[in-house]
Amino acid sequence: MEKNFILAGFGGQGILLAGTILANAFMLDEKNVTWYPCYGAEMRGGTVNCEVVVSDTEVSSVHKRECDYALVLNQQSFDRFVKIVKSGGTIIANSTLVAEANPRADIEYVFAPMGKLANDLGTSKVTNVVSLGVLSSVVDMISKDALKLAIEKVLGAKKKDLLPLNMKALEAGADLTAKV
Amino acid sequence: MNSSEKVLIKGNYAIAQAAVNAGCQCYFGYPITPQTEIGEYLSGKMQELKRGYVCAESELAAINMVIGAVSTGVKAMTSSSSCAVSLMQEALSYAASDELPVVLVNVMRAGPGLGYIYPAQGDYNQAVYGGGNGDYKIIVLAPSTVQECIDYTYRAFYLAHKYRNPVILLADGLLGQMMEPASFGEYPYPEIDNSSWALTGAKNRASRAIYSCARDEKKQIEHIKNLFKKFDLISQNETSWEEFKTEDADIILTAFGSMTRNIKAAMNVLREKGIKAGCFRPITLSPFPNNRIEELAKEGKDFIVVEMNMGQMFKDVKYAINGAAKAELINRPCGEWLSVEDIVSSVEKFMEKNYAASI
Repeated sequence: MEKNFILAGFGGQGILLAGTILANAFMLDEKNVTWYPCYGAEMRGGTVNCEVVVSDTEVSSVHKRECDYALVLNQQSFDRFVKIVKSGGTIIANSTLVAEANPRADIEYVFAPMGKLANDLGTSKVTNVVSLGVLSSVVDMISKDALKLAIEKVLGAKKKDLLPLNMKALEAGADLTAKV
Repeated sequence: MNSSEKVLIKGNYAIAQAAVNAGCQCYFGYPITPQTEIGEYLSGKMQELKRGYVCAESELAAINMVIGAVSTGVKAMTSSSSCAVSLMQEALSYAASDELPVVLVNVMRAGPGLGYIYPAQGDYNQAVYGGGNGDYKIIVLAPSTVQECIDYTYRAFYLAHKYRNPVILLADGLLGQMMEPASFGEYPYPEIDNSSWALTGAKNRASRAIYSCARDEKKQIEHIKNLFKKFDLISQNETSWEEFKTEDADIILTAFGSMTRNIKAAMNVLREKGIKAGCFRPITLSPFPNNRIEELAKEGKDFIVVEMNMGQMFKDVKYAINGAAKAELINRPCGEWLSVEDIVSSVEKFMEKNYAASI
C-alpha cells in the first residue's frame, strides 16, 4: 500500500519542516518514505509545497499527479491542490486562512482553525506542528507518538528548549479535530 | 553519520557525506541548482576535517582543480548540473587521456542551453558518449534512490582509482532534492595503491610526468588502443544492472536513474492487469549491459524504454537488441516525471498494437 501527502502553504509557515517531521515519523514507524520539495520558482512566489510518499514496499514515484491527502495552510494552496486530491481522498485545511467551501462532492473536507490555535498557544510559528496534530487525528496511519519522536529528532539538542511548546501544539492540534 | 543507523537525508547531502566517507580529500565546485547542497555541505565539513574545499570561480576552474588534485593520487571530486557540466567536457577528455581518477557528480536538470532547474535525464548522451574531443570513455553510474546515491558515490571513487579513469555519477534533480531513509555504513572498498604513477615529488625517485598525448604517431595509436583495452576490462568486470520478473516476461520496461522507480511500479500494475511485464535497469550506463539486453531480446522479449529525454538510452537499447525484438520509447523531455499511469497506458497501447491477436 502506498499513500501520498501534499503539504502546502505560504513560505515561512514551516511547510517543508512539517513534511520533514512527517517523513521522519514514518521512518521511525519503519515504513518506506520519500520526501520531495518544490524547489522551483514557486518558492519565490510565496507558496511552497512538499510531497511525502509512504509505502509498505519500495516507494515508487514521487511527483505524482494526484494525492491521497492534502494538508493546506493558505487559500492559494487550497485552490490549487483541491483539484488533485484523489476521489475519496481528504483535504485538511487551516480555516484561519482558508474559506470553508466544498467545490467537489467526491472528496472529504476537514477544516480546523490551526492558525488561531497556534496564536492562542503564543505564536503562529507552531501552525505547522498544530497542523500535524490535526493530520494525526484524521489519518489512521500517522501515529502521534512517532510524530513526537520525530519532532524531538528534528529539533535536536540545539533547539531542545522549543520541545515543550511543540508538544503542546501537536496535542492541541490532535484535540482540535477530535472535537470537530 | 558513519554507521548503519538510518537517517532521513537529502540525495545531495547523501552524496556529499558519502564522498567524505570515501576519503575524498578535496572538493572543488561552483553552485548551481539542483545540486548546490553538495558544495554547501562540504564547505563546512571539509574545513572541519581539515581537507580541501574551494568554491571555484567557474566550473571550468573547478574540474581543472580536480585534475590537479587527483594527479597527486588523492581522492577529489567536483559536482555540478547539466549546463555547467557542459563547461567541463574538455577537461574530462583530458582526464580520460591522462588516466586520472576524476569523480564528477552531475545532478541533471533540464536542457538544452541554460534549460531550467526542473529535473530531467537529458545528459545521458553527454555522459555516456562524452562531450569532449577524441576517443575516450568514461564510467557512468546511475543511482535511483538516496541509498544508491551513497552506495554509488563509494563505488565511483573506487572505480575511478582502480582503473584510473574518470567516473560520472549521473543523478537528477529529483534524487538530489528528495529525502529518504538511508544508511552510510563504512566505505566498503579497498584503498588503491597509486604510488607507481602519482605525482608526489621526485625525492628519492626518478621524476615523472603525466601527459595527455604522446607526440609520436605510433605511441599515440598505442595509447588510444590501451585506453580502449582498459575499458574492455572495465566492461568485463564492472558492467552491472538489475532486473525484475524478466524470466516469464513478454515485455520489458527499461529505464535508468530515478525513472527506475516508476517502471517498477508500472510493472506491478501491468502484472495485476494480466500483462507479463518485467523490468531491466542498467546501473552502469557506461559500460552498458549490451549482452544481457541482447540475450533477453533473443528470448523474444520486447523492450519499452522509459526516459525523461527525447530518446537517448533508447538508441543504446535498440543497438543492443540488434533487431531481435521490438523496441518502443515512452518519454517526455523534462519537468514532471512520467507517472505510473502514463507508463501503464502507453504500454497497454503498445500491447494492443503489437499483440492484438493474443490479448
